[in-house]
Amino acid sequence: MPRVSLIIPTFDRPHMLARCVESALASGASVEVIVVDDASTDATAEVCRRLGGITYVRLEHNQGVAGARNTGLLASTADYVAFLDDDDLRLPGSLDLQLSLLEARPEAAFVAGGVVLADQNLVPTGETAVPRAESGDVFWQVVELGVHLIPSSVVVRKACLFEVGLFDRRTPGTDDWDMWARLAESRAAVLDERPVCVYRTPTPGSGQGSSALGRHMLAVVRHQSKLLSLPRALAAPAARRRAARRNARRRVADTLSWRAAEHLPRGAFRFAASNFAAALRISPLWAARPTHFRVLFRGLATLLAERNARASPPGG
Amino acid sequence: MPTVSVIIPTRNRAALLPRAVESARLAGARAEVVVVDDASTDATPEVCARLGVRHLRARRRLGPGGARNVGLVASTAEFVSFLDDDDVRLPGSLDAQAAALASSPGAGLIYGRVLYGDGEGRPTGGSYPEECPRGDIFWPLLRRNFIPCPAVVFRRECLLRIGLLDEDAPGVEDWDLWVRIAEQYGALSDEREVAVWRRPTGESGQFTSRPERLHRLARRLHREKWLRLPRAAAAGADVRREAARSFAERESRLLVWEAAEGLKAGSFRGFARVALAGARMYPLGFGGKALGFAARRVGRVAAGKNLGR
Repeated sequence: MPRVSLIIPTFDRPHMLARCVESALASGASVEVIVVDDASTDATAEVCRRLGGITYVRLEHNQGVAGARNTGLLASTADYVAFLDDDDLRLPGSLDLQLSLLEARPEAAFVAGGVVLADQNLVPTGETAVPRAESGDVFWQVVELGVHLIPSSVVVRKACLFEVGLFDRRTPGTDDWDMWARLAESRAAVLDERPVCVYRTPTPGSGQGSSALGRHMLAVVRHQSKLLSLPRALAAPAARRRAARRNARRRVADTLSWRAAEHLPRGAFRFAASNFAAALRISPLWAARPTHFRVLFRGLATLLAERNARASPPGG
Repeated sequence: MPTVSVIIPTRNRAALLPRAVESARLAGARAEVVVVDDASTDATPEVCARLGVRHLRARRRLGPGGARNVGLVASTAEFVSFLDDDDVRLPGSLDAQAAALASSPGAGLIYGRVLYGDGEGRPTGGSYPEECPRGDIFWPLLRRNFIPCPAVVFRRECLLRIGLLDEDAPGVEDWDLWVRIAEQYGALSDEREVAVWRRPTGESGQFTSRPERLHRLARRLHREKWLRLPRAAAAGADVRREAARSFAERESRLLVWEAAEGLKAGSFRGFARVALAGARMYPLGFGGKALGFAARRVGRVAAGKNLGR
């Protein structure tokens, strides 16, 4: 029996899938790789037939990523489960490392590791995002978006999943966050900074789930009120909940402004504008701070400088 | 390796649970019984420990669909059956159904009849459904649900093609599952009784005690999900219209009956809720059926008076 099931939900990305599966197979000594084809309309089925060593599950009708993850759970036979998005990569041996961490802490529900950020072609940008918090009770950090968790960086003890239920299909885009919060509500988590996966960072036009960042973040903010009505949050003082709401909104507004500034020099005007509008809606006072304007203006200035340089080539 | 997984979702019914578990064990010699305790606050964990049954305990309430989904992921057998904590499976019935399903590889599920029962799990006479269609039951299922949940055994493999239960359809998730299975697979039926079904009453605290909610949900699923499944979408508009008409017809008849039951039980509020919902959902169908029902009633009363005179 395999020690861990690695579930890869996929939809219409056959060109990225082979690399993803290859990394999955090399991520642990005893790993069962389950590819859940969420009713792809392209060559995904053929690509999977050619890939050896995987369990291939094909859904007849698109279930959404949460439904596909749940179907993967149904097919899995191991006591631990991990998830991998079809455009991300797992680092070699990373599952073995995380399993040993989780096995050493029998009271913990999940373990999370660091994330290597990469561009659209999965070339690392040199940056990493790590879950910067103490292991143990991380409920409030998770609810406040204070811990960096993505589906590809987490390994879950399956028995703990049964305590909180499966992924919620009704919250597309935030179903993973919802799961970590529910797990952390009553169980400890192990956080480790060592990198375990490579994350394909979305860009304004990449068509990934979180490309439309403004809309995604508004959904995140809406979803937080659901998390704040979990029994544990309701039992806390109202001031604690207010602080959680404020902290999360500020983080979201920061992210939106920074990403707007990052993409402005590449001419992503509409992206930047919608980001900034969303930030203003989410946390008006915080978003309108001078720092945010400064970053945005710097982005705009870079863009204009590049335009000018192109308009009047040196020596022309 | 067990052949059938019996998933028993339960919540605060510690007194009833042993009966359901024992019946499942007697129904399948190699059954894997999994109790999913939906955050009970009573003695359910102790009862499960005493019974020596596999017990998964949710820390927060998952609802019937969520609890069954957990049971599905936690169980391992090739065939699956759901049993409610207040229902009873008849001895040997799981083995018989699993064997029949195993010998018919094209079929996704097999179902039988249920006997109506009282709170003690004793049959009170009568069984359901009268007719048990088999083979391709997709369109019949779009007209009405004739498959009682505790009377079904289905192939686990089906769910790998159609996904798990829809947690967004509390109380109708079983019907939704049968529709989705029937879209892809054939169905077997044995005309035998396989379970005892506790009939819901106003006081029993079962979810079906608020029938209008289920009808509203079924109507939404019918319109927004089932009639949009590829198989239904590929059929002609007239076929879909006919299915919608039969569905409305059946639903309004049920609503009239349920409203009358509410009145009979002396619950004017229950009557009003159901009648209002019925009139709003199916104005013509419900109105017509209600008039017919009332006319028959008046006729019967008048006839009674004539006899008395």
